[in-house]
Amino acid sequence: MEIYENYQKFSNDLKNLLNSNDNFSDFQIVCRSIISNKETLFNCHKSILSARSDYFKSMFNSKMKEFHEGKLILTDASQGIVSEIINYFYTGKIQLTSNNAIEILIFSSKYLIDELIQVSSDFVKKY
Amino acid sequence: MSRKMILRVPKFQEPKRMEKSEAQRLWLLLKDAIVEVQHMNASTLSFEELYRSSYSLVIAKRGDILYTGLEEVNNHHTKNLLDKIAQAVDERFLIELNSQWQQYKLQQIMIHDILMYLDRMYVKEPQLKVFDLGMFKWKQNVLIHSQINDRLVRMLLGLIHMERNGEVIDGALMKSLIQMYVDVSLKEKETYKQEFEERFLLATSHFYKSESNLFITNNSCGAYLKKVEIRLIEEEARIKQYLDESTGPKLIKACEDELIANHMQTMIEMETGCRTMIQNDRFNELKLMYRLFQRVENGLVHLKNEFAGYVRNEGHKIVNQPENLKDPNALITSLIEIRNRFEKTLSQSFANNRDFINSVNTAFESFLNENDKLSESLALFIDKKLRGGFKDSNDQEIDVIMNKVILLFRFLSDKDVFKKFYEHYLAKRLLSGRSFSEDLERTMISKFKQECGNQFTSKMEGMFTDMRLSKDALDGFKNYLQTSVEMGKLPKIDMSVRVLTQGFWPTFPPHSCTLPPLLSQYCDLFTKYYCHAHTGRRIIWQTNIGTAEVTFRLPKKTHVLALSTYQMLIMLLFNDAEKLSLKQMAAGTSISFMDIQRSVKPLYSGKYKVLKRTPAVEKSKELSENDIFELNLNLKCKLHRIKFAATSQTDSEPERQHTRQRVDEDRKIEIDAAIVRIMKSRKALIHNDLIVECTKQLSSRFVPQTSMIKKRIENLIEREYLERFPDDRRRYRYLA
Repeated sequence: MEIYENYQKFSNDLKNLLNSNDNFSDFQIVCRSIISNKETLFNCHKSILSARSDYFKSMFNSKMKEFHEGKLILTDASQGIVSEIINYFYTGKIQLTSNNAIEILIFSSKYLIDELIQVSSDFVKKY
Repeated sequence: MSRKMILRVPKFQEPKRMEKSEAQRLWLLLKDAIVEVQHMNASTLSFEELYRSSYSLVIAKRGDILYTGLEEVNNHHTKNLLDKIAQAVDERFLIELNSQWQQYKLQQIMIHDILMYLDRMYVKEPQLKVFDLGMFKWKQNVLIHSQINDRLVRMLLGLIHMERNGEVIDGALMKSLIQMYVDVSLKEKETYKQEFEERFLLATSHFYKSESNLFITNNSCGAYLKKVEIRLIEEEARIKQYLDESTGPKLIKACEDELIANHMQTMIEMETGCRTMIQNDRFNELKLMYRLFQRVENGLVHLKNEFAGYVRNEGHKIVNQPENLKDPNALITSLIEIRNRFEKTLSQSFANNRDFINSVNTAFESFLNENDKLSESLALFIDKKLRGGFKDSNDQEIDVIMNKVILLFRFLSDKDVFKKFYEHYLAKRLLSGRSFSEDLERTMISKFKQECGNQFTSKMEGMFTDMRLSKDALDGFKNYLQTSVEMGKLPKIDMSVRVLTQGFWPTFPPHSCTLPPLLSQYCDLFTKYYCHAHTGRRIIWQTNIGTAEVTFRLPKKTHVLALSTYQMLIMLLFNDAEKLSLKQMAAGTSISFMDIQRSVKPLYSGKYKVLKRTPAVEKSKELSENDIFELNLNLKCKLHRIKFAATSQTDSEPERQHTRQRVDEDRKIEIDAAIVRIMKSRKALIHNDLIVECTKQLSSRFVPQTSMIKKRIENLIEREYLERFPDDRRRYRYLA
């Protein structure tokens, strides 16, 4: 028996899926800035989001407004952080820097992304 | 990463202190949403908004408002539901209860989803998790409410009762309602066990108690067993269909207790029960019984004991049947037959269970040794087979019979007695040339060898070697005669000699007789030749087991008579006399009177009579010394060669006694050897230990009697192998 593993390609392919703007997307995450009212759209996939996050799984299970409209509007997070988190859901990778660490900690605490809470708080503790 | 780097702290890092009014606003928002969910109107609510609200309350340390609020809302809701459900009549009740329950469960999942943050970050033991809180409220306000619980359980049990009586019920509904008891149990299914399972098991026991009592009195055991099997299959299916799997073992146990364990004795003893099945070889019914009894504690023990008891009884009958006691062949054949029969029962009904096999073997051991003639009968049985009884069997059949013989042999406790008889009959077969096939003889012996080792068969193998060497010796003797000077002077006769090594062969009772001069001379020649070729050996002539062919000239016809040596000697006397009394015969031949009697008998009382008694008397009359015989010159026989039995086929009682005596002699030696072996290694031993050890060592060959061992110990003390301790008479010391 031989197991072939190639997580690099797997991760890249999913990143391309996220960025491709294709027709397979069935869910939009809208990041709205309260100050400028500027909106940023992310075309996502219910299946991937619910597989990666309990928050989304519960959201889709309860079949409320977001499920029916195919859209989630976020107003309390910066566009950059939302983008990095979504990217993490798809690729399993995230870059922690002194610039984003605290925001990632706050965001992942709110949405209960346990492993990110862990790594980002470890990162913050080092300073 | 360099140490100079500084963490960027976002502007809104500290949550503002939340005003009470703000907290109240958020709770009302959530409360409305929960009420909407409870009315199944959730699709317009924003999940993110609700999630965010519960998140905000929790991080502002206002989770308590939310949690106690939720408890109240659930409380209120379930109380409303209770009224609705309790109003439903008859079978609507179950349907209403089920549909409300199904909805309620979905709502609770949804509420849990919305309040995920509360659930994970706020709820701490011993508080119930959000979903469990919902379940608890349902249990408290609906399920175990006096208006619901008893009614529900009674209806569920009623439906199960109906189903057991053959009616069709809604399995899915049953499953959902029964599962409800499990779902509302907070730990270890306690509600399910307390409220439902206990009463269900009780009802089950009741049902099967009355059913089984009724059924078994009105039906045969076979029918009852089938019924039980079907019932058990049904209950297994019931577990899968709508019971919680944890009930499985308990339910099956309850059924087994009522259906099997409580009726075991009846099933064994009833007229159509186990006994009859065994008697009539009802393999399938027994197989079913075995399978079912296996399920209950000690079930197989009952069945096994019953079977073993039957085996012992049957065996006992066979070994004590008067006809069998007279006919060893019939005895062994019947034993092999019942062995086959029971082996079939074991394999077809009892899955060749080791315990069963062992108990059957124990039974065989006990009845086979009931009868002290079995060793001899078995030896005689093989004797008959090897004298030609195997003629019509193929190799495979022969092998089967031989293996059966070995099997019976294995059960004998006095293997040494068997061995003596076997050697005795083997010797007779070889010497009289009656053995059907040397190959078969050797196969049989190799089987004994496998079973008991070299020691057991070394003498038997020695006999075969002697037979072969005798042939060589005889060939040499014939060559020697041709070159011998003395040969020219002697009339030629065809003499055949077998040289038997003493020790290999059974010792034949010593007899003496006077050979005619010619034969004597030949014997002397052979002795001279043989002792010359093998210095240091001594030849003792055993004339009593030889055979001879004699030409019998009648006025009109000539016959050749095949006789024993003794018979030949007797017949030769008639060359010089017309009439002879038995006393005269004995005098003329130096044969003992008893042997004269036995030798003469076939000559005058068989089918062809070469001698006749004068005056003629009744056949049955015992011969006496003064009875007179003469040649029967009117013999009418179409055959040229007439064969006479040397003696009767089976051994006479004295001969049998003789064999027994020899066994006893051998046993003494074996016991002596065992005692000396044991004492040599242990140096000192208490009397009882010595007896036990000795019995153990000898058990593969025979079961020594304690009295005999005692005698041997005394004897060994006299011979100064052992001595008693002066201070303790129960202990022995080995004297080197």
